[in-house]
Amino acid sequence: MIFAQIFEMINTGIVILDKDLKVYKWNKWMEIHSKISADQIVGASLFTFFPDLNTAWFLRSFKSVFSFGNFLFFSQKLHRYCFPFKAVNILGLNFEYMQQSCTMGPLRDKNNQIEYIFITVQDVTEIAAYEQKLIEMNVKDGLTGIYNRRYLEVRLKDEIKRAKRYSRPLSLIMIDIDFFKKINDIYGHQCGDYVLKTFSTLISSVMRKIDIFARYGGEEFCCVLPETCLLSATKVAEKFRKRVEKEIFNFDGKQMKITISQGVSERTEKITSADDLLKKADHALYEAKRLGRNKVFAIE
Amino acid sequence: MTKEKINNNFSDLEKDILQEIMNIAFGKASADLAELIDIYVLLSVPDIKIIGMGSLPDYIKNTISAYKEVSIVDQKFWGDFNGSGILLFQNSAGRDLITILEDRSYKNFEINSLVTLEKEIFLEIGNILIGACVGKIAELLNTFVTYSPPLVFDENSDGYGSFPQSFDPFQTAIIMKTIFKFKQKNIDGLLLIITNQESIGWLQKNLHRFLDSYQ
Repeated sequence: MIFAQIFEMINTGIVILDKDLKVYKWNKWMEIHSKISADQIVGASLFTFFPDLNTAWFLRSFKSVFSFGNFLFFSQKLHRYCFPFKAVNILGLNFEYMQQSCTMGPLRDKNNQIEYIFITVQDVTEIAAYEQKLIEMNVKDGLTGIYNRRYLEVRLKDEIKRAKRYSRPLSLIMIDIDFFKKINDIYGHQCGDYVLKTFSTLISSVMRKIDIFARYGGEEFCCVLPETCLLSATKVAEKFRKRVEKEIFNFDGKQMKITISQGVSERTEKITSADDLLKKADHALYEAKRLGRNKVFAIE
Repeated sequence: MTKEKINNNFSDLEKDILQEIMNIAFGKASADLAELIDIYVLLSVPDIKIIGMGSLPDYIKNTISAYKEVSIVDQKFWGDFNGSGILLFQNSAGRDLITILEDRSYKNFEINSLVTLEKEIFLEIGNILIGACVGKIAELLNTFVTYSPPLVFDENSDGYGSFPQSFDPFQTAIIMKTIFKFKQKNIDGLLLIITNQESIGWLQKNLHRFLDSYQ
């Protein structure tokens, strides 16, 4: 009696399934969030109501629990959710669906034989939203919204390790906006900020998703290109250069154009640290400026 | 066979029965993994060690440091039979493991980075391997266990240095060690099942019960 009440009152979704994936129990929490009543779903196959769960991994998990009696933990980080329920939390507005942490495990009869399996569903949307905010604050540059220097340095270190481990190419582009101080001096710092923001958005829109674009310092930026050799990275830099050169920046009724100088470097056997790769790109950037700016310079 | 008593009164006979149980359990585990979930894994003949008081942290430390660039999955289990399952993978195995689980459409999941994905893969595979092996041993011993969520870490994680110290040095432990190899890919690693003092008494009783059922 008492357990039956707890089963309905607990702030966790509980589903019990039989061997054929038919729903045996469906608690109140599941009713509320799924808008499917226990009367409707009990006795029916779970996949009738949740066809998206009919995947190889779900079946694999289900079979594994039935045969080994192990527990499976579906973390929010990897799966986001098992059951597509609307997010109910105000903080969770960044999420279309409730973020869930789910556990699957065996239920046994008197003879220790596994008769049913249970799935518990916990709403972790609020935690996930806080985490997302914290991560963003920690890794993003406040002005431009792209990654900050700290994140760049951490990721570059990771990527160098990966590239070394799998003997894969890795390149770095260092970008500097030409004569940026003049923009600040002539049009004011607000205009300077506008240029930095617009420039960041522009580059973000033309680069690949897997590349890491970050603000390195005042008007200096870096782009890490995993799985990319020097030649390809130079082509990417050239694409950036052309795109920026073409763009007309409008601020407060004034129109202006900017150009960028870029240094490109690639990880070689000799380069073991993030610092070394950054130094080499910085050196290439210096050459690009020395050659008259609005240039791409690559160092082998 | 000598009947000489070893640490904590765990006799050679008992060690032999445990060895036999593990052979059967691991055979069943790998057969079921292949048949049910398409994971083809070879498990070597398990090696059983009884570790005396005070030696467990050092044993763990030495075992881990023998591997370079290693990721560790640690999962506690409890019941009559309780302890920890520990898996050691080479870091470079992450990428290959992703391909083994290829049909799981990871594309659908937003992943911050490949590093995160690799970590999650280690967790998932670790959970299944530990669950299969421990589950089959428990089944043969006529009991069942429950599990806490697995943890994963590598040399760069905060918990790495203190991990060996997290094992109580004042415990006698039985360590069951096996090397596993995935057939699809050239990935291997080490699986340790460590059971602590609390369950040794229970284990001895049930090992004899197991033997009796065959006599």
